Amino acid sequence: MTLAEMPFILPDLRPASAELFVLAMACLILFVDLFVKDTRRTAVFALTQLTLVGAAVVTWAGTSGEVVYTFSNMYVHDFLADMLKQLLYLTDIIVLFYARAYVVDRPLLGRGEFYTLTLFATLGMMVMISANHFITIFLGVELLSLSLYAMVALNRDSATAAEAAMKYLVLGALASGLMLYGMSMIYGAVGSLEIGEVAERLQAGVANHSILVLGLVFLVAGLAFKLGVVPFHMWIPDVYHGAPTAVGLFIGTAPKLAAFAIVLRILANGLLTLSYDWQMMLLIMAVLSIVLGNVAAIAQHNFKRMLAYSAIAHMGFMLLGLAVGVVGGDARFTLNAYSSALFYVVIYVLSSAGAFGMILLMARAGFEAEDLDDYKGLNRRNPWFAAMLMMLMLSMAGIPFFVGFFAKFAVLQAVVASGQIWLAVVAVIFSLIGAFYYLRVVKLMYFDAPADPTPIQAPLEVKALISANGLAVALLGLFPDTLMWFCLLAIRLSLSVFA
Amino acid sequence: MDFKSVVFYLFSAVLVFASLRVITARNPVRAVLYLVLAFVSGGGIWMLLEAEFLAITLVLVYVGAVMVLFLFVVMLLDINLDRLREGFWSYLPLGATVGALMALEMGVVIGGSYFDLFENRVPALVTDSNVKEIGRLIYTDYVYPFEVASVILLVGIVAAIALTGRQRRQTKAMDPAQQVLVKASDRVRLVSMPSEKLEDSVPQAGE
Amino acid sequence: MDLKSLSLVAVFAPLAGALVAGLFCRVIARSVAHTAAIAGVATAFVAALLAFREVAGGARFNGTVYQWLTTGDYAFEVGFLIDPLTVSMMLVVTFVSLMVHIYTIGYMRDDPGYNRFFSYISLFTFSMLMLVMSNNFMQLFFGWEAVGLVSYLLIGFWYTRPTAIFANLKAFLVNRVGDFGFLLGIGLVLAYFGTLDYAAVFARVPALVGETIPLFGADVAAVSVITAICILLFIGAMGKSAQVPLHVWLPDSMEGPTPISALIHAATMVTAGIFMVARMSPLFELSDTALSFIVIIGAITALFMGFLGIIQNDIKRVVAYSTLSQLGYMTVALGVSAYPVAIFHLTTHAFFKALLFLAAGSVIMAMHHDQDIRRMGGLARYLPVTWITSLIGSLALIGTPLFAGFYSKDSIIEAVEASSIPGAGLAYGALLIGVFVTAFYSFRMFFLVFHGKERFGAASHGAGGHAAHDEHASHDEHQGLPPGEKPHESPWVVTLPLILLAIPSLLIGYVAIEPMLFGGWFADAILIDEVAHPGMRELAEHFHGAAAMALHGLSSAPFWLASSGVALAWFLYLRRPDLPAVWQARLGPLNTVLENKYYFDRFYETVFAGGARLLGRGFWQGGDVRVIDGFINGSARFVGWAAAVLRFLQSGRIYHYAFTMIFGLLVLMTLTLWVGRA
Repeated sequence: MTLAEMPFILPDLRPASAELFVLAMACLILFVDLFVKDTRRTAVFALTQLTLVGAAVVTWAGTSGEVVYTFSNMYVHDFLADMLKQLLYLTDIIVLFYARAYVVDRPLLGRGEFYTLTLFATLGMMVMISANHFITIFLGVELLSLSLYAMVALNRDSATAAEAAMKYLVLGALASGLMLYGMSMIYGAVGSLEIGEVAERLQAGVANHSILVLGLVFLVAGLAFKLGVVPFHMWIPDVYHGAPTAVGLFIGTAPKLAAFAIVLRILANGLLTLSYDWQMMLLIMAVLSIVLGNVAAIAQHNFKRMLAYSAIAHMGFMLLGLAVGVVGGDARFTLNAYSSALFYVVIYVLSSAGAFGMILLMARAGFEAEDLDDYKGLNRRNPWFAAMLMMLMLSMAGIPFFVGFFAKFAVLQAVVASGQIWLAVVAVIFSLIGAFYYLRVVKLMYFDAPADPTPIQAPLEVKALISANGLAVALLGLFPDTLMWFCLLAIRLSLSVFA
Repeated sequence: MDFKSVVFYLFSAVLVFASLRVITARNPVRAVLYLVLAFVSGGGIWMLLEAEFLAITLVLVYVGAVMVLFLFVVMLLDINLDRLREGFWSYLPLGATVGALMALEMGVVIGGSYFDLFENRVPALVTDSNVKEIGRLIYTDYVYPFEVASVILLVGIVAAIALTGRQRRQTKAMDPAQQVLVKASDRVRLVSMPSEKLEDSVPQAGE
Repeated sequence: MDLKSLSLVAVFAPLAGALVAGLFCRVIARSVAHTAAIAGVATAFVAALLAFREVAGGARFNGTVYQWLTTGDYAFEVGFLIDPLTVSMMLVVTFVSLMVHIYTIGYMRDDPGYNRFFSYISLFTFSMLMLVMSNNFMQLFFGWEAVGLVSYLLIGFWYTRPTAIFANLKAFLVNRVGDFGFLLGIGLVLAYFGTLDYAAVFARVPALVGETIPLFGADVAAVSVITAICILLFIGAMGKSAQVPLHVWLPDSMEGPTPISALIHAATMVTAGIFMVARMSPLFELSDTALSFIVIIGAITALFMGFLGIIQNDIKRVVAYSTLSQLGYMTVALGVSAYPVAIFHLTTHAFFKALLFLAAGSVIMAMHHDQDIRRMGGLARYLPVTWITSLIGSLALIGTPLFAGFYSKDSIIEAVEASSIPGAGLAYGALLIGVFVTAFYSFRMFFLVFHGKERFGAASHGAGGHAAHDEHASHDEHQGLPPGEKPHESPWVVTLPLILLAIPSLLIGYVAIEPMLFGGWFADAILIDEVAHPGMRELAEHFHGAAAMALHGLSSAPFWLASSGVALAWFLYLRRPDLPAVWQARLGPLNTVLENKYYFDRFYETVFAGGARLLGRGFWQGGDVRVIDGFINGSARFVGWAAAVLRFLQSGRIYHYAFTMIFGLLVLMTLTLWVGRA
């Protein structure tokens, strides 16, 4: 067989055009950055934002309700992927605007690499979102993680940042190892790594169940690390706290969307037959996360650490939705449960972006505004921002008529529908405990005297954006149904159970 | 037991022993060397499976390049072994228990029917060259992961440069290119000064 | 426009007004604020009129206008149910609200919170419309809480007065008790009917008749589901509509500005409970137990709150107790299944009671915010418009034939007479005595304010003549008419609403009784089991036209009772003004009981508030020392402990983290592989 005889068919590249576009632009920006003399890197910033907008346009142009596979079924293009990618671009754009002033003030951060690494991380998340094969999932996770490790360490003069990066790297490698080991076990039992095929062979019942479950445990552990749920959560507080706030903002938002996507694709699309086993694991981790996250957050004095524990609790809450999709082998509740979880994660990303955005807004050159005490008397320094942060906190606490309430409600009704009332009760009790630390922020802002009465200065676009972000949680509370409808649609059109 | 099995168990035993020594060796240089041994044994097992390309790559890349670099790093760093091993004994009981339990559970699960299952699944051996077959797969079925992997390497480069490459402002490194261009006038400047009385010399010393 | 658009306009026009006046309250001029608010409410009134025409023509609307959130089996919806009951309420609410808006321009002229006030009352109108127009329990509850919130804000409008803060806190807490029952009732509805939509709930009612909820185990006791739901919902109504024993907040709510007392605490919000029960008639009709309960509560309220009106000296409090008493009348009407009569009385009462309150406000303005009727007298000469409109209002209130109140009140009394529900006999007696009492205190106030000797401007006032009879009423001691100055009639923005309200107070009963009660106006909105509760039917049999009813009224017991009440008031307060003090002294113990308002406040303060304080002290002494010292006060120990746990878990050491992960993995593995399988 000579080279000319080898069968080579060019794969259909159209479904993946957004990924290709982002990759090309990232390389271009890497190159352009060499010739930019401006220390503010305005050109690089603008190009990055344009890339994200362009990617949104490309994705939008390719959106259809159909499920299309390409690259030998390693890549899947469906409505869920399109929706998550659009949310991802949006989150990125918001993140970069928030981070802009912060990184410009800090020369080590504000280099071209900050923007290119963001794009590469975004590419990694896009790969994860569209993955239909264990290998692509793993590579996407690695692409994302490697970029994030570097971003955390970018401020190399900071010892805490370096320490955080090191911890993140080592534990991330451990988690990758676990995930990879789990994948290899499943491959050994099933003989395939393609998600659809795995599902088919499991359905046919040819595999050794114990080995599958063993692989599953490792796989779920790896996924749980990415989501940051107990007991695989230890990196979250240290990384959120140690990383530069701009990077913490990025880590705390967009990757949750991608992690949700791979969890859904692996567990719900690939291993639904094993739902009994993984649902139990998810339930245990969910309850532990809700309990530990909410209780530990109370003891925090650092706003970033508090948000880190709140993230753990929120991800636990989201897992509840994923853990009640199948009841006694009956998949009737799947649509409702998974769309509630999707809704929850989207709302979480939105609120979390706003809260981190507030920290960035308050920070100045040489001042980080990350202690809770820095928020004392914010109402007197700037009533508008205090109101915005209050709305974000109330939404995160799940106070009615802010969108966070509906997110919690959606998940809880899914839990109740599955018949596990005790679970809903536990979740509600610990959400109430959690409300304490959110409301404490509100109390600090409104009832305490400011330590530093200077008014707050921030660029216009950040002010506008934070206002939009704060108002969004209030407005979405009035009009949550459209987003909920999109979530339902995404799950129904994209999950193989409904095909 | 045929000859192949004997070789397999031999390589496997060496591999397990070497891996254990990697984490137990007191001297880091020795640990790295044991890692080299482990890689070589792994290469041997691959060779047994007739995956000669992978075996050679493993030895060439990991042993030949990565491990040598590792050795340099380990030898250049001043690692305080005693501090690293602090608390080893206090953690050992708990760690060993958990590890043993883990190994036990995995052993119970895997020890059963797993290998029979795998026997049936040994892929048909390629008649053609191993390299050619891998190349074909990489550029057809696996082109997407292959490209993503290449992006990961690119990010690795970018990250490495970002974290270490650009000059620090406070660094005291020398630039040889500048050094060779030096002229005598850059080193010494002769200043002619008029002779002065003793009491005036103090305020003008700073010139 | 169709009904749906009309209802949207009616609801959102006041909201828009409230937002304009509220969000920009520090920026915009007063004229802008009141124009926006009045325009909003006027639009709502016009929309309500148009909707009334449509509904009278047979149109109905019941549907969702906005799907808030659907998730799983639950749907949060905003929907409207527009039927005769709804449009009647819409008309009353928007009309009275419009009048109050106009009146406020004059009344609040000098208040610094002018724009804020307009924003609140427009917001109230929005909330009240949401409540009455709702087609589901969720929105009903939203409206219920929203009107409660605005009421709370408005009672405490003058938030620098400690009495106002006390009053709004009291209103808030007492309403919490009612709302707790209400929420439980809604919860039961959701649990047993699986939906919150009125139509769907009513459709499923027959299937649930006979179903019981076991209490303390299935064999000990059981209560019918319908009865439980009805009583719980009615407890909510008791809080909102101030029925004994949850009435204590309403008199104190008089701390709010007078326009509010007219709008919220007389005409609209307090009638929300009455409306709600009427709306739920398909449920209440199936539970005689609940109906009896309602009758008894209503009768007690009607009679005993009337007695309290006799001894009040604060002009607003007299009207407030009369409101309580009239709410009792409405409640009794509900209890005897005469829902249309209750709504009819609600309507007429809204007009004449708003009128009386606004007239009282006009008097208060003329007296420079002195509210003690003992320091008024002879005002008829100075305030002619207020005088004549007050007279109309009072005559309507006591049920003078041909006036609005006559038709509704007499209908209630007749319906009670015809009813056979347990408690109706007691209620009949209470209502008849109530008629006499109402007439007496109404005209006592009327004569003291407008006739007799001019007692205002006396130099001594505020020093000793003013017994601190009620500590909450004695604010504004320094206000009042300076000696020698004469009161003036209020500006047209105040008198115009009085005149406009006087017209329906005079006519609405005569015009509306026939269509509303006997013309089948509520036929498809209110369901009455005519076999079990034949009151309405008997009423219809005895009805031969409005004029004939008035004629017949002249010879009936209530008329003579009312007349004697007026006569007694005339005798005591105009003819022999020296007598009341003598009688008061002679009836010492009785007077003391009344002055202490039957000791309800005292009881609540000692038992509940005191109990809570005691409990609090118990917690403080028992709990603080042990728990809080290691928790909040000595939070160092708690934080230290938490931090120690956290430090142990979150040590910052990477191998601890890795070990946690591995250990977690081991636990998960063991559970899934071995425990979960078993």
